[in-house]
Amino acid sequence: MSDILEKLAKSVEFGKINKASPYPPNMKDQDGADELAKRALEEGVSPDEILENALVPAMAKVGDKFTRKEIYVPQMLMAAKAMNSALAHLKPFFQSGETKRKGKFIIGTVSGDLHDIGKNLVAMMIEGGGWEVIDLGVDVSAEKFLKALEEHPDAVVGLSALLTTTMENMKNIVTVIRGKQSGAKILVGGAPVTMDYCKKIGADFYSPDPQGAVNYLKQLTS
Amino acid sequence: MKNKTFQFDFKDLNLTVSQIENILGFNEDDDREFVTDLIEELLKESEDISKIKAQYSIFNDVKFYNENKSVEINNVVFNIKKIVFNQIKKSDSVAIFLCTAGEEIGLRSRKAMQERDMLRGYIYDVIGSEAVEATADFMQDDLEKAAKSIDLKITNRYSPGYCDWNVAEQHKLFTLFSDNFCGIRLTDSALMNPEKSVSGIIGIGENVRFNPYTCGMCDMKDCIYREKRK
Repeated sequence: MSDILEKLAKSVEFGKINKASPYPPNMKDQDGADELAKRALEEGVSPDEILENALVPAMAKVGDKFTRKEIYVPQMLMAAKAMNSALAHLKPFFQSGETKRKGKFIIGTVSGDLHDIGKNLVAMMIEGGGWEVIDLGVDVSAEKFLKALEEHPDAVVGLSALLTTTMENMKNIVTVIRGKQSGAKILVGGAPVTMDYCKKIGADFYSPDPQGAVNYLKQLTS
Repeated sequence: MKNKTFQFDFKDLNLTVSQIENILGFNEDDDREFVTDLIEELLKESEDISKIKAQYSIFNDVKFYNENKSVEINNVVFNIKKIVFNQIKKSDSVAIFLCTAGEEIGLRSRKAMQERDMLRGYIYDVIGSEAVEATADFMQDDLEKAAKSIDLKITNRYSPGYCDWNVAEQHKLFTLFSDNFCGIRLTDSALMNPEKSVSGIIGIGENVRFNPYTCGMCDMKDCIYREKRK
């Protein structure tokens, strides 16, 4: 990996957003993800290389550290913020189609449930895994999931719920999606959800942490 | 039945930076400088929040049914399950409570999230959770003092959704209160709105006791409060 991509990956992994950002203290006054991504493009590094060789592996390290409980949610969010500052420079290339994402991921908190933090964390990590995320928000009905899937037929769907009461709505949503798009891949997650429940309602995958979802998506594309 | 209502300003709750850091997961030795400044800023910003409310109602018409681990309060039967049942079964009366930190903190959290400032949104969310818990602590302290003045004790507070008590039972709990109690509305899926609200039950009697450590009784292993609030 080139020196600049290595620095960019470190900036994302440790949440160094830009030069002005005081965090982390040992990287104070150094360029952050914002400046490094911009410079990498100016030096002729391709957007694909930036994504594949710096941002995606850096976020994978962050996700693994979170799974191992070596970091907490705030550090993960700082890393995501750094990643977003780098991704902003790649946006024109995504829009022009010059750089392709690995796929599309539709995510939402199921109907009846308004909790969004867990869903946002997963969305952020999946975006960091190189996927385009279509976030439908909270209190999302089966029909809304289905409509999004019709607009993006190859997308993987992620359902989130925090309550045992709303977890039951996952079953209905999975049934509706399966009725129209039987081959759709559906991931489920949230505090009350288990692998047993995932199997019971006919979803494809459950992960107790965001990185598990990223790894599952990686398997789908490899 | 005896009712008591409370209203606080955010400042009254005396939330501290270290308290929020603790809930975020940080230990004494962790580098957390980057969140300390932000927590300080958000606690300061929150000082304009008022109308943080709590209320409890005491019910003397209480029957316990050991065979199905339930309690009947004013002819409403709650299936509180084994853990909660065992903690409150010796109560002579019970207090049903509702507390809310109001809408504002949740709105600020969501606004920050929408602006993709996830850390700010997340910390606001944790501050909201701590604010409502602090409100419940004040309410519970008041109840304990009132009970003590007539030589009674109280149990811990227990809420639907915890210790195996189905969160859907919150609908029954709300039937014991007048409509729009503390301004809290309940959705069909038993979600309270404002979301930074808590409801539950506290046992009162001569032969009940407060348990200083309750996490061991609960099976929510991933709860962010597990062993943090001792």
